[in-house]
Amino acid sequence: MMERPMEDNLDNLFEFAEFDEKESEHIAAPRYSYWKSVWRTFVRSKVTIPLTIFVIALVLFALIQPMYSGYSPTVAPNINNSDMKYLSPSREHIFGTDNIGNEVWDVVWAGARNSIIVSFVSTTIIMVVGILVGALWGFSKKMDKWMIEVYNVVSNVPYLLLAMILSYVLGAGLGSLIFVMVCIDWIFVAYFIRTQVMIIRDREYNMASKCLGTKTFTMIVKNILPYLVSVIVTYISREIPLLISYEVFLSYLGLGLGTNYASLGRTISQYKSFMTGYPHLFWIPVLVLAAIAISLYVVGQKLADATDPRTHR
Amino acid sequence: MKRGYILKRLLRSVISIVIIMLVVFTLVYTLVPRDNIFFEDATYRKLGGKPDDKTDYVYNTWMKLGYLDFVKINDYCLERYEAGSSEMQNAIQPDSKETAEFIEHYESLGYTVQRYTVSNRVYAYKDRPLFQRMWNWFSNLIQIDHVNRVQDPNNPDLERKIYFGRTPTGGLALIGSGTIHKYLIYTDSHFPFIHQNIITLNMGESYPTYQGLEALSVMFSSQGTEVKRDVTFETGETGSSAINFGSLTYKENLDRMDRKKFVDHYANYTTFKDQTSMVGTSFIMGIFALLLAYGIGLPFGVAMARNKDGLIDKFGMLYIIFITSVPSLAYIYIFRYLGTTWFGLPNVFTTFGPSDLRSWILPIISLALPSISSLMLWIRRYVVDQMNSDYVKFAKAKGLSRKEIFSRHIFKNASIPIVHGIPSSLAGCITGAIITEAIYSVGGMGKMLPNAINQYNNVMIVALTFLFSTISVLSVLLGDIILTKVDPRISLTEKAGRS
Repeated sequence: MMERPMEDNLDNLFEFAEFDEKESEHIAAPRYSYWKSVWRTFVRSKVTIPLTIFVIALVLFALIQPMYSGYSPTVAPNINNSDMKYLSPSREHIFGTDNIGNEVWDVVWAGARNSIIVSFVSTTIIMVVGILVGALWGFSKKMDKWMIEVYNVVSNVPYLLLAMILSYVLGAGLGSLIFVMVCIDWIFVAYFIRTQVMIIRDREYNMASKCLGTKTFTMIVKNILPYLVSVIVTYISREIPLLISYEVFLSYLGLGLGTNYASLGRTISQYKSFMTGYPHLFWIPVLVLAAIAISLYVVGQKLADATDPRTHR
Repeated sequence: MKRGYILKRLLRSVISIVIIMLVVFTLVYTLVPRDNIFFEDATYRKLGGKPDDKTDYVYNTWMKLGYLDFVKINDYCLERYEAGSSEMQNAIQPDSKETAEFIEHYESLGYTVQRYTVSNRVYAYKDRPLFQRMWNWFSNLIQIDHVNRVQDPNNPDLERKIYFGRTPTGGLALIGSGTIHKYLIYTDSHFPFIHQNIITLNMGESYPTYQGLEALSVMFSSQGTEVKRDVTFETGETGSSAINFGSLTYKENLDRMDRKKFVDHYANYTTFKDQTSMVGTSFIMGIFALLLAYGIGLPFGVAMARNKDGLIDKFGMLYIIFITSVPSLAYIYIFRYLGTTWFGLPNVFTTFGPSDLRSWILPIISLALPSISSLMLWIRRYVVDQMNSDYVKFAKAKGLSRKEIFSRHIFKNASIPIVHGIPSSLAGCITGAIITEAIYSVGGMGKMLPNAINQYNNVMIVALTFLFSTISVLSVLLGDIILTKVDPRISLTEKAGRS
């Protein structure tokens, strides 16, 4: 009885809040945006920004420079001009000139351009095909039964062997080389994605989603693929240098791009006889190749680390 | 259950190989223009001025390689008339009645009939379907030697028997007569000391490079210059020769020299040469590279895991990043440059040849570099995983020393997945290291396939594909079986144990 007046007092201090349905659904948590966190984690390390700028500049330069240099492996304008042969690197000839009077600078960038185009385009196609097939493969048990048999057969094939035979059969050229790489590699990506999908397919949130009647395709695109972003980026960061390596390897053996295309692999194989006489001719393409591959790989790895939500703070 | 599983896997491996072969046959024999095979053929070039001989040569070569069946009017008429007779001479003329019969007969069989450009005589050919060609290849693959193999109409009195005896060099031998090989099983002083010729693999005759040699003997017979020594032949004749008595095979037409040396018709032989075969060279290089890789990669990987985020770990990661990102072509040249300038090692294999140890060092190191990096990466991953597991914490709590935990528990568990890869790595030794061998000009298996492809040697391409894919398929299977032996917890039947 004594407390009553007190209660009356307190009641006066409060007033009834209006019931807001929208507000009641809101969960008060710090705002988290995935891509913003990725960006923040990516720029946290001091090396990445300059390195990324370097890589972008390198790639753009390799893509644009050959358009203006007018270099083509089929023509040798200075072949009869002995003053232009075997020049050492200087201000006018940045990387010097080679045995037929071509600017090594132009040769190297034209080769780098083709290597980069081949590896980027094939990586894109391989990843798109591999992810789509792999996601379906991981989801459908019926498909799994057949695809696993296909995989068992295909994975047994020594892939370099197949790459060599395919490029022998299809002939030399950018398109056929890309086709060869896609043919060989897509199933490995698909298998990798299938395993990843299988791991998260049966998690509770997916069960719930399924019970609520989400379509399989929506589930793959909305529930599962975002989960795979960091895994996929990791894969891509390894794939691009690997495919550059393949292109160089095949062209070195005379099987990749034909003689009508500039290629770092063939350039290295042509220049290797000048290793003792004119070492700059040989070492420049080798080092440019190493620089491109290693910087692409490191930036890719950093990006892959940043896309992993576990590294977000 | 277990045995059933292995049988199933073997069956699947065989199917894999057949499918691979089907793909390769289709690719090589239908998509590559068949004229390409003559690009590297010297005989073909010499026949430029004689169109009829050229046509003849082209079709005979195609027939030999299994592209098509080829008949010309001469062969058709030989069945009716005697060679060199006047009927024969008339019958092969372009307007004879035999020619008309020939055209009718072969067109009804589905052949395409054509005429030589100069003599205007007729010939016919018919493409062999792909499956038939593949079937022929597989059915001729395994050759079993027996006493009725040799059918020589000029030598009807050939004895047909098998008996024990000795080779001219004194080894024990099972000798056959009527068989293709004289010595079916024999012993000598060459590795592997006991040899057999009863079951041989026949993958066709190499063309256009290594002409006249069987595809397999190109890979397996010794290279270099002949090693001559004083030998006593079967007739008692002595002389200096590099003959390998074990390789004697039947020869139909003996010449004077053969009769002087041999008592019977077995007079075809191969010779001993001073360098190991292509397979042998690749294998020696591969084995040592493998030993080096395991010898360095394993301890280094463990050390990296034990000093996680320490100096060794950082250094190791730097190496791994370098090897995985830089194309092998670039880093092999870089390491070769370091090796030649700092240690004065030869930069190509052929400078000192295979008999000098220095020739081997750089190729072996170059070959080991990528394996070291992947071994380091994986063993580090496995050891780190094991170090965080509950049983290790438990062992630590029970008071086991760090050393004891590592050697008796962690390393044992971490090495299981590593063991899985050993057969595949061994198989890789045989298939060769293409880039390494190309850079150092090593006469091994690595250069075989690129060379075969560049020279349009389809027989060799098919043979190499078969060999390589069989080896790799079987080594994966062997790896899985070893895995279950090393770690009894793993069962291949319940969960697919494939990596």
